[in-house]
Amino acid sequence: MGKKRSDIYSVEIHGTQDPEKTDKEDEEEKYKDLKGNKKKSKKTEDLKKELDLDDHKLSKEELEEKYTTSISKGLTSARAAEILARDGPNALTPPKSTPEIIKFLKQMVGGFSILLWVGALLCWIAFGIQVAQGVASAFDNLYLGVVLALVVILTGIFAYYQEAKSTNIMASFSKMIPQQALVIRDGEKREVSAEQLVVGDMVEIKGGDRIPADIRLIFAQGCKVDNSSLTGESEPQSRSCDFTHENPLETKNIAFYSTTCLEGTATGMVINTGDQTIIGRIASLASGVGNEKTPIAIEIEHFVHIVAGVAVSIGVLFFIIAVSMKYKVLDSIIFLIGIIVANVPEGLLATVTVSLSLTAKRMAKKNCLVKNLEAVETLGSTSIICSDKTGTLTQNRMTVAHLWFDDQIYSADTSEEQTTQSFDQSSQSWAALSKVVTLCNRAEFKPGQENVPIMKRVVVGDASETALLKFAEVILGDVMGIRKRNRKLAEIPFNSTNKFQLSIHETEDPNDKRFLMVMKGAPERILERCSTIMINGEEQPLDRERAEAFQTAYMELGGLGERVLGFCHLYLPEDEFPDTYPFDTDSMNFPTSNLCFVGLLSMIDPPRSTVPDAVSKCRSAGIKVIMVTGDHPITAKAIAKSVGIISANSETVEDIAKRLNVPVEQVNKEDARAAVINGMELKDMTTEQLDEILINHSEIVFARTSPQQKLIIVEGCQRQDAVVAVTGDGVNDSPALKKADIGIAMGIAGSDAAKNAADMILLDDNFASIVTGVEEGRLIFDNLKKTIAYTLTKNIAELCPFLIYIIASVPLPIGTITILFIDLGTDIIPSVALAYEKAESDIMNRRPRHKKKDRLVNEQLAVYSYLQIGIIQSIGAFLAYFTVYAEQGWLPNTLLGLRVNWEDDYYNDIEDSYGQEWTRYQRTYLQWTGYTAFFVSITIQQVADLIIRKTRRNSIFQQGLLRNKVIWVGIVSQIAIALILSYGLGSVTALNFTPLRVQYWFVAMPYAILIWVYDEIRKLFIRQYPGSWWDKNMYY
Amino acid sequence: MAALNEKKTCSQRMENFKRFVWNPDTGQLMGRTLINWVWISLYYVAFYIVMTGLFSLAIYSLMRTLNPYTPDYQDRLKSPGVTLRPDVYGEGGLEIYYNASDKNSWEKYVTTLHKFLSAYNTTAQHANINCTSEKYFFQKSFLGPNKTKYSCKFTSDMLENCSGLANSTFGFPEGQPCLIIKMNRIINFLPGNGTAPRVSCTAQHDDFSPLELQYYPVNGTFNLHYFPYYGKKAQPTYSNPLVAVKFLNITRNAEVTVVCRVIGTGITSDNPHDPYEGKVEFKMRIQD
Repeated sequence: MGKKRSDIYSVEIHGTQDPEKTDKEDEEEKYKDLKGNKKKSKKTEDLKKELDLDDHKLSKEELEEKYTTSISKGLTSARAAEILARDGPNALTPPKSTPEIIKFLKQMVGGFSILLWVGALLCWIAFGIQVAQGVASAFDNLYLGVVLALVVILTGIFAYYQEAKSTNIMASFSKMIPQQALVIRDGEKREVSAEQLVVGDMVEIKGGDRIPADIRLIFAQGCKVDNSSLTGESEPQSRSCDFTHENPLETKNIAFYSTTCLEGTATGMVINTGDQTIIGRIASLASGVGNEKTPIAIEIEHFVHIVAGVAVSIGVLFFIIAVSMKYKVLDSIIFLIGIIVANVPEGLLATVTVSLSLTAKRMAKKNCLVKNLEAVETLGSTSIICSDKTGTLTQNRMTVAHLWFDDQIYSADTSEEQTTQSFDQSSQSWAALSKVVTLCNRAEFKPGQENVPIMKRVVVGDASETALLKFAEVILGDVMGIRKRNRKLAEIPFNSTNKFQLSIHETEDPNDKRFLMVMKGAPERILERCSTIMINGEEQPLDRERAEAFQTAYMELGGLGERVLGFCHLYLPEDEFPDTYPFDTDSMNFPTSNLCFVGLLSMIDPPRSTVPDAVSKCRSAGIKVIMVTGDHPITAKAIAKSVGIISANSETVEDIAKRLNVPVEQVNKEDARAAVINGMELKDMTTEQLDEILINHSEIVFARTSPQQKLIIVEGCQRQDAVVAVTGDGVNDSPALKKADIGIAMGIAGSDAAKNAADMILLDDNFASIVTGVEEGRLIFDNLKKTIAYTLTKNIAELCPFLIYIIASVPLPIGTITILFIDLGTDIIPSVALAYEKAESDIMNRRPRHKKKDRLVNEQLAVYSYLQIGIIQSIGAFLAYFTVYAEQGWLPNTLLGLRVNWEDDYYNDIEDSYGQEWTRYQRTYLQWTGYTAFFVSITIQQVADLIIRKTRRNSIFQQGLLRNKVIWVGIVSQIAIALILSYGLGSVTALNFTPLRVQYWFVAMPYAILIWVYDEIRKLFIRQYPGSWWDKNMYY
Repeated sequence: MAALNEKKTCSQRMENFKRFVWNPDTGQLMGRTLINWVWISLYYVAFYIVMTGLFSLAIYSLMRTLNPYTPDYQDRLKSPGVTLRPDVYGEGGLEIYYNASDKNSWEKYVTTLHKFLSAYNTTAQHANINCTSEKYFFQKSFLGPNKTKYSCKFTSDMLENCSGLANSTFGFPEGQPCLIIKMNRIINFLPGNGTAPRVSCTAQHDDFSPLELQYYPVNGTFNLHYFPYYGKKAQPTYSNPLVAVKFLNITRNAEVTVVCRVIGTGITSDNPHDPYEGKVEFKMRIQD
């Protein structure tokens, strides 16, 4: 499987980066094609096409020709219908899901099912032979076979149902509101569903729209798009109709499917639809990445192998023993069935499923929605989290972070719920600055949001202006009112040549007839136009010293990865600019130099306030958090530092070089804990170099990465035997999400592609929820251990009767049907109850489990359950068995070797130890009483087993006997079921239960207490002597 | 994870297995060092010795609580089972199939009966006392030899024509075979509530002429003085009373299904699950 994947993978990489090589790969693909592997080869070709995209280079006329359309009139409806029929609807093909019937059948043959099917089959064979021989009890085997088959089918249906239930939660997610697009067809504008769009259609887009397909822009006005879901860049990108870059991804005249238009309007020609779009290709890249087996699935498989191995080897061993002891082959087969049934914990897999879904439910309450049940535990064993920056670690919204005025840097509150700002606002300079910020801003709140918290209000305008508007609103309040009072007379909007924005206002002071000109823009451009600077409300000449101070501040803020804006103003002299002065923005008949510099504001997409805490929790839990983003290295590093992904005192190689003033090459790489890797560097790295980085640095940031590179990084981590979680929201993240051991998508900001690829969805987009998830995942791993230990124990008590029966030829102590009643009756609720057990110690303070060393079922667990507690249980149950027989007239020594006569249907006057004579049925009835006593004894001792399994290290009294109420529900249910079976259904002969004398319920009690005491002693030694021989051999 | 899924070659697997069996680097044999193996083995030996001790102790104290004469409970022995001699089973249960003229076909029945009755000859029974009372023979104390209770004599001659003494072939060659009905022993069981229980045999389907039967002892009763039974330890020489049934008019060359019931209060024969409780059913076919 691994090999196949690497093939696809390399094709993908080469498909975008190395066109020459694809031919060779393609041949390989064709070769595969012969084997019926069509899907993949199609994908290779698709990916190759990405290189052919040259529409951005074509002129309008060439485009019209290429797509046989008209820019003014659009396609004709007939032609559009034709193309639609050819290309299919403009929608992403949903990832191919496994057919339900296959899923169902998988449940039927997975796990222990095969073993049980074999058991059932053997039963029917035995039945067939016995019927042919005319044995009276032949039908027992038929029924047993049917029961076994039913067990498999029912547990299969149950597991299938559980799976389906969690999948259904997802189905609701994928339902999208049908999107509409404004398209020009037959020379008319009309609204059509976005799915109906075809290549060559002319569409109009305005601010707020989602781009309905890949579009080559023909006309654009102030158009900005948010490409963050595609590239991870949170800054809006402007779009125009000019061809600016060779790379179709970088050029400005193409807008991509599923990105959003933030402002402005544009008209463009659809050049790709549906799966052909860039997004569509990335999405199909994701579906090409194979689904990994989850760690818990591997663990359960491992466990199934162990149990099945034990079952088969004991079964075969005793089959041979039985045959060589001169048992009939048919009898030996029946023994074999008994051994298999006794050894296989029939109910366990269902229990595991229930436990996982309980945890999944608990996690859903804490905003982690789990798509794939097994992913519940994966999060717990996660050792590396590769987190996307934008939207996951950050709020995905520009916010003012720092201010510089009066020669001083002030920090602003960047938390999600800011209502006030605490920096010093008494200075006159701030008053001036706030005025510039308020007035020189085109962003506006959408009306009707007075009751909405400021930070949540919807704003029309770009991200920086929005940030400034909200910032001003928080501090000053009623920005719109201020603007109204300072009426705007003229305005020059921001453009890329000027790099500034300017507006002229009346002042709100009726006595002041001067006009106020306010300006903001790139700090260096603003500074160029200033001759003075405002310090403490006073205008002072902008000398060299002040300019340097500005430069330092600018560099410092820029170094924080923040986007810095400079602000300046000028009061226009009343005499030169009277009331009626006609401002003309084209000729700029007003001064734009010798202005007064007021201050700097810097903005950043700030980290979510919960993230630093969550990151440090991950740290203490031994989880490495790696940032992987498409954003700039500086911004990425700044955010990494502020959330603690790069801790305060660690340095990158570059930092050390700077500090020591030596070239980067001379720095010992191992001195640097942190590393910031650029996507460009990553591209040239070999696998070994990447591995080296991942091993040597504990704090890593990958910036400017492409979707493929995210995939490489995830693979690199997985090569270190790490269980990798990837968080992301964008389409660009989806291949990595799929590749990861657990992909975590954002529920609010996440794109559908990301959600589809993910195993888990954070409903509140909060990175901190992951920590909760990790905790739950670790807890469920521990608790599953307990559940399995609990379940395995009684298997020995179920198995020993068969072994003793074969070797010592005593009447059978417990029947196969009775065993099934333990496995699927009394034991079910208690083993689920263990899933509710609280953690024994702070599970978030230990390292994540090593997926190859810390097994779910390790040697100690199996040995302790099988060879110690299991043996005590067997002894207790056998005591009950011997007691029942002895008190009814059959002393232990009489029983030995009695089997053949005992089971002889024609021997109806066998003498017991007291000389009484028994018919066959009387003996059988006694045998069932023995079954019931054995069953009850196992049940009673399982109560003790349940209690001891609450903890693995702590004393039960430390853990609290009553804290987990569900355990008690389990105990009560266990005993109630036993009571019902014995007294309620004791008269139903087919079930082989009999009403038991009351005292037999207590025979095994001392052994139950022994189990508890022994286990307490075990735990005491483990706690007392950590690391000792005892600890190593007895702790599971 | 890719590494985990990579298929290992066979030789690699063998290599890994060899390493598991004996790892020269760490001196580990099957994942443990030798000394570690010794320790763990010692622990388990000790553990199992203790467990065996506990179990033996428990069984010992169980035996101490038991009464050597009577079992604590007789929950499953409410009504005695009934068996037939000769007990020869075929495909459909008890079958007495033979050819009257073919000695080989009935000899096994005769041998079985002789063998069975050998426990009832006078030498075998000489330790038992002669009882004449027609009442239950209660014995409160151990008056017999070696602290036992007396058992009543039942000798084969009480079966008269079916004793095998006068007619050593039990009437088989004549087509009038003797069969013996035995009731299972149950300690302290008092059948018939003061009236001696008796055997009554009927043909299940009276298609043929009604059965003509001769019971020995007379009336086919089990004398009350054989009850109650006090158990093997108290009555080591006790032998079950018997009733012999001689079939006088069995239709030749036809299968007859016969049910013999023991009739008496406290003896039930209607348990649907137990075909031998209070009754015994068998098939007969005598050929010429």
